[in-house]
Amino acid sequence: MSDKCDALLERLETFLDGECPQDVEAAVEEHLRLCPPCLDRADFERKVRELVASRCRDHAPDGLVDAVRARLGLT
Amino acid sequence: MATSPTASDGPVRQELTEDERREAFARDAMPFVDQLFGAAMRYTRNRADAEDLVQDAMVKAYASFHQYRPGTNLRAWLYRVLSTTYINTYRKKQRRPQEVSADGVRDNLDDAGDFSLFDRLDGGASPSAEFEVMQALPAEAVRGALDELPEQFRTAVYLADVEGFSYAEIAEIMDTPIGTVMSRLHRGRTALQKALYDHAVRNGILSRDLSGDPTPDAADPVEGAEGEHR
Repeated sequence: MSDKCDALLERLETFLDGECPQDVEAAVEEHLRLCPPCLDRADFERKVRELVASRCRDHAPDGLVDAVRARLGLT
Repeated sequence: MATSPTASDGPVRQELTEDERREAFARDAMPFVDQLFGAAMRYTRNRADAEDLVQDAMVKAYASFHQYRPGTNLRAWLYRVLSTTYINTYRKKQRRPQEVSADGVRDNLDDAGDFSLFDRLDGGASPSAEFEVMQALPAEAVRGALDELPEQFRTAVYLADVEGFSYAEIAEIMDTPIGTVMSRLHRGRTALQKALYDHAVRNGILSRDLSGDPTPDAADPVEGAEGEHR
């Protein structure tokens, strides 16, 4: 782990959230191109997020939209 | 090719007749009911309560629809209404007692420290290979891990990772500074990774040898007794 890796680690979360300023984003991307271990880490963090996103989505029961419409008199 | 600007599909206007308001709300806001229910589930962790919460929030949203500024982010506005409804009127009458184990939960959050699933799995073949196995975790286990986070951390992680809201949007929805959002996300995600890891180890999905952690936790529930997380 180089200093650059440490610097990446600090910014990785914000980077993955797409919330870095452009110059920081470019610097992180550049480092990821050159450093396979850090790229592995970034890909891994993305996978964890995808796991959470795909498992934690609940859908409304059938009657809910109708119940809301009825309460609002939208029908 | 675009010749005429879209005429009739413009944003909701503030000066609406009752009929227009009804029509605009039905067209623009109602499609979010399904998504709002997902968020309501994370707030209440209970289907019946989540249904009630979405209904109440939509009634409030309709009543204050004139306050929604056309052309701004309707989705975030609706989530904000949902959040406010939950906090102002709902949290008090939760059927499930509010965070009974709040202290235990907060400990979990602190215990997580700077836990990194990637680093923890690094002792095996490769973290990615190990993680493949974790993809077998049932949805209930992942949801359970998220639901066990304290409300504000759970909500931040849900809004970011499941709903894809930006920091600024989450700050608006939760009525909190962006720095607080970032901190909640970081701590919430860390605790979530630790909970997922612990769950996988407890259920034999991951071997504890991998971590090099010498102390098997005797207090862990027996597998099978896990399923429901409360």
